[in-house]
Amino acid sequence: MIGVYNIAIMKAWMWAGTAVLVARTVGPPPLANNHGELRRGTPERGQRVGAPQLANKTLTAVPGIKVGHYTLAERPTGCTVVLIESGATAGVDVRGAAPATRDTDLLNPAKMVEQIFGVSLSGGSAFGLSSGDGVLRYLEEKNVGIVYGNRHIPIVPGASIFDLGVGDARIRPTADCGYRAAQAATSAPVTEGSVGAGAGATLGKMAGMERAMKGGVGSAALEMQNGLIVAALVVANPLGDVIDPADGRIVAGARNASGRGFADARRIVRSGAPRGRSGDNSTIGIVATNARLTKAQASYLAQMADDGYARAIFPIHTVVDGDTVFAIATGTRSGEADMITLGSLAADVMATAVIRAAREATGLPNFPAVRDLPNPPAVRDRQ
Amino acid sequence: MKRLALSVACAAIVSTAVTGSAQDARLANTTLTAIDGLKVGSVTLPGGTTGCTVILVDGEGVPGGVSQRGGAPGTRETDLLNPLNLVDKVNAIVLSGGSAFGLDAATGTSKWLEEHHIGWDVRVARVPIVPAAILFDLPIGNNAHEHPGPDCGYRAVESATTAPVSMGTIGAGAGATVGKMGGPGTSMKGGLGSAALRMPNGLVVAAIVAVNAAGDILDPDTGKVIAGARKPDGTFADARALLRSGALMPRGGTAPRAVENTTIGLVATNAKLTKAEVSRMALMADDGYARAIFPSHTMGDGDTVFSLATGRWDGQADVSLVGALAADAMAKALVQAVTQATGLPNIPAVRDLKK
Repeated sequence: MIGVYNIAIMKAWMWAGTAVLVARTVGPPPLANNHGELRRGTPERGQRVGAPQLANKTLTAVPGIKVGHYTLAERPTGCTVVLIESGATAGVDVRGAAPATRDTDLLNPAKMVEQIFGVSLSGGSAFGLSSGDGVLRYLEEKNVGIVYGNRHIPIVPGASIFDLGVGDARIRPTADCGYRAAQAATSAPVTEGSVGAGAGATLGKMAGMERAMKGGVGSAALEMQNGLIVAALVVANPLGDVIDPADGRIVAGARNASGRGFADARRIVRSGAPRGRSGDNSTIGIVATNARLTKAQASYLAQMADDGYARAIFPIHTVVDGDTVFAIATGTRSGEADMITLGSLAADVMATAVIRAAREATGLPNFPAVRDLPNPPAVRDRQ
Repeated sequence: MKRLALSVACAAIVSTAVTGSAQDARLANTTLTAIDGLKVGSVTLPGGTTGCTVILVDGEGVPGGVSQRGGAPGTRETDLLNPLNLVDKVNAIVLSGGSAFGLDAATGTSKWLEEHHIGWDVRVARVPIVPAAILFDLPIGNNAHEHPGPDCGYRAVESATTAPVSMGTIGAGAGATVGKMGGPGTSMKGGLGSAALRMPNGLVVAAIVAVNAAGDILDPDTGKVIAGARKPDGTFADARALLRSGALMPRGGTAPRAVENTTIGLVATNAKLTKAEVSRMALMADDGYARAIFPSHTMGDGDTVFSLATGRWDGQADVSLVGALAADAMAKALVQAVTQATGLPNIPAVRDLKK
C-alpha cells in the first residue's frame, strides 16, 4: 500500500504566523558517540534480555548500515543520509497526506528493483529532495549500485520534511548537502537531536507555531537473544505532540499560554477547536533489521513501524503531515523471520526513537526544546 | 427517606428520557447511532458465540472509505471504496464473525436492501452497495460448523435501529477474543464496542468495533493493560513485555497463528466529506487501533476500518480534526468492547477478573 490515495489530496501549506528567526550556525556534526552525555533516566534502548546491552543503541547497530548528517551553516536545516553499500531489501509506508518523496514507487513489491543502497532524508520540503542527487553521485563514485553494463545505478529513495518556516526559506539542502552527509556517514552511533534533516524540525504545532517546540533526529535499537536486531531513526517534525505510550504523558508538544506547561493536543482536538493549524510538518523515518526479508515483507515492516508514529505522536497522519516510514532489511542474519515479532518490535523501537528525537533536541529562538522547559516533564525509565 | 429521594430522582430521569424528544435521546447516545442517519442491528446465532452486525445508512447512501492494514484480511467490496473508483454511495456495512464464510452475511443485507429499493441506480435495477469485513472466531463454540450467513445479515439489517448500540458479547463480537500473545488458554473475551464524540459546534464523530485482536487492549491515556494475555496467577502478562523478552519467537514461542484474529470496525461523522476525505478519515481512525491494541496490524490480524460521512451537518469540516477525533473515538470503542463483554467458558471478560 504505497502512497495510499494521496492523489486527490492537495498539499495544504498553511502557515501560522512564523517568527523570523536569527539563523543559528550549526557546523557539521561531530562523529563521536554522544551517548556518554545521556542524562540519567533517559529511555533504555538496546535492551538485550539475558545478554549484554548493545553498545550502539542507534540505527547503526544493524551491521552494514552507516549514517551521516550534514547541517547547513546558513539556516537550521540539513540532510541525514543512511547508506547500505552492500544493498538491502526495502519497503515504504506513506500515510501522511502531504508527502515529499522520491523513488518510493520502485519500492512497491510488484516493481522490479530488489535492492536499495541508501535513503536520503532532508529538510527543505520538495526542494530538499535534491539532496538525493548528491548521495547518488557519492555512491556512483564508489561503484555502488545496480550493475548496468559498466555503470552502477545507486538506488536511493528519499523523503523531506517541511522546515521552510524556520529561518530563511530560500536556504534549502541541495545535492551538495546530500553528498557531504554521505561522505560523513559512518557506522558509529548516530548523533541525535538538532542535527542534519532534524536541524529545523519542530513539533507541537496544534496551538500555532508560536507555541511549538523543537523536534529533531532520534534513534533507537533493540537486539533479541537470538541475534535479531531492529533499529529506527526518525526526523520528528509533526503537527502533533510527542507522547510516551507507556504512560500516556506528553514528552513535548504545544505549550500553553504561560509557556510553562502543555496545552495537550488531545484536549485541543476533543474541544473541537484547534487554532492556527500549521503546515510546517512531516515525520520521516526508517526502520532497519538484520533479518532476511522479501520485498513484500519489508513493505509490511514499514507499515507496522508506522504504528510507532501513531502511539508516540498525537495527532498523526493529518492532512498537513507527510509522514513516511522506510524499512530496510540487510539480511545478514539467516533464518526465518517472524513477521509478528519483527513488526511489533519495529513499532516499539520507532516510538522510542520519536521520544528520543524530542528529548535530545536543542532549542532555537522561539522553539524551546524539552531541556529548555522551566519544569521539564519527569523522565521515566523505559524497560 | 434518602432512598425515597433517590428513587424519585431516578424516576424523573427515566421519564425525561422517555418523554424527551428524539433530539434529546440522540444527545444522550454515546454510541455510533448518535450520528443522525445511521442505524445499527446485531444478530447473534443461537449458540451465542458468533453473529453479525450491520450498519445501515438512511436514504440514498453516503460516501465511504476503508483502511485495510492487517496482514490477514477477509473483506468484500473494499476496492470500490478507492477514491479513484466510481461508486461514492454506501448503503450498509456488514461486520461478521465466521471468517471468510461470514462474508455471506452481506448477501442477506443486500437482499433486504433490494427489497426496499435501496442501492446504486443502474436504471434496470438498484444495486445495494454493501462493503463487509469478517473476523476469525472459528475455534469458539461450534463456530467451525455454524457461520453467520445471509439469514444473519438479513435479520440484522431488518432489526437495525437508531437506539444506542448494544455492546459486548453480541453480533460480530459474540465470538471475539483478545490477548492471544500468551499462548493457548490465556486469552480474554473481546466483543462489540462503540463510542461517540460530540463537539460544541455540532460535529459528531463516532466509532463501532468488533475487537478480536491477537494483542492486548490498552488505555492509551494511561498505557495500562485493560484486557489481554494472562499469566497463570491471573495477572496480565503484558504483550509489550512478552515481545521484548523474546518469548514470542516462533520456535517454542507462543506467537499467535496467522488469521486467528482480526479487528473490524467503522467510524462515521455527520460532516460533509468527499470520498478522498472520508478515506483519510478511515486511515487516521486506524491510529486508534495502534494506540489501544498492542500489537496491532500483525500478519495474524486482518484489521480493517471502514468510514462513512453522512453530511447532515452543515458546519465546516476539517479532515485532520475529524480524523484525529475518529482515532480517539475508535480507541474509546475498543476499550468499551472489552469492558462491556461478558465471558464464555474458559474465556473470562474484564468484568470476571478479580479486582
